[in-house]
Amino acid sequence: MSGEITRNPKLAWREVDGAMVIISPEDSQVHELNEIASLFWKHAEGKTLDQLVERISAEYEVARETARADLEELLAALGEKQLMFVAPEEKG
Amino acid sequence: MHLRKTDGVVHPVEALDGCVPLHISIGSVPLSLFIREEALLEPAMRRYREFAHNSENGFPIVLKKREKQTKESGEFSYLLDDAKIVLRSQGAEFHGVRHEYALDSLLRILLTMVLLPQRGFLLHGATVVRDGRAYIFFGRSGAGKSTVASLSPKGSVLTDEISLIRYSNGCWQAHGTPFWGEFRAAGQNRLVPVAGFYLLKQATEERLEILSVKQALRALLPCVLFFASEKSAHETLLRTLLGLIEEIPCHRLYFRRNAEFWKVIAA
Repeated sequence: MSGEITRNPKLAWREVDGAMVIISPEDSQVHELNEIASLFWKHAEGKTLDQLVERISAEYEVARETARADLEELLAALGEKQLMFVAPEEKG
Repeated sequence: MHLRKTDGVVHPVEALDGCVPLHISIGSVPLSLFIREEALLEPAMRRYREFAHNSENGFPIVLKKREKQTKESGEFSYLLDDAKIVLRSQGAEFHGVRHEYALDSLLRILLTMVLLPQRGFLLHGATVVRDGRAYIFFGRSGAGKSTVASLSPKGSVLTDEISLIRYSNGCWQAHGTPFWGEFRAAGQNRLVPVAGFYLLKQATEERLEILSVKQALRALLPCVLFFASEKSAHETLLRTLLGLIEEIPCHRLYFRRNAEFWKVIAA
């Protein structure tokens, strides 16, 4: 997973009291992210997982493996709800 | 012929020779209904009599028989049972409307679209006027909107089913609507400043809880009538609701089926 993390461009969203409220226009489903997921939503856009692992492990003094596992879990949860995903790497 | 010029552009409403438009205004949105069928025109005139308007420049709505169509870019369309609305910037067409209830439903859909850029929306809610201010009791079907309306003094209810909220003249206002549920009435075409929103919750006691911004948004969103599927429309709705929540208090109202709830609201 070395492609850039990106928000689903179809979604409408606003930050409310530090939390992201996201609406999926296709099915009018409303998602509300918790504090950690909201931070991820704000800061992960355009970054690769490797870049985020470096940043988190440096800022919070956690092992890279731990940071990677946590971020992968979060990204998987957001991906399952089709909120964020890793864009395929451009070739060439 | 009813071809009109709007800003130099002839709009695409087709000619309806001999069809006298019914001019109404709902939520300060002037509308001109072109209804050819007598069988539909008379009930419509009755239904919207309190909303009759003298403007001849209302947003044109032409009722037509059901036609097969191809979707053009930039237009909104929505299919509701056998009836369909096609909305363009210069006017709307209602296809396959066979009775006044279908007309009513398509008008609601139209208004959600027309009001959206004007900081307005329709909400599943009863609007009751007390001391010159509007109290919006909202919730999904069965929440108690009609119950609240039935417990309120005659003449104080602007709607028991669909509230129309709009920002105008520097404040949020509730407009009377012709859209009613069990309480069936002609409605009152007036607007009143909004005092507060009350999410209805039937309980064994009367109690009021103030909702946080997030809670209020979570409560209001599922109760807003909304038919657009574009991201930009949802962004506009979010912006509108958050603007409203910043200014108008939203509560959860626990209530029994009696008028005691006014005491906790007034407290």
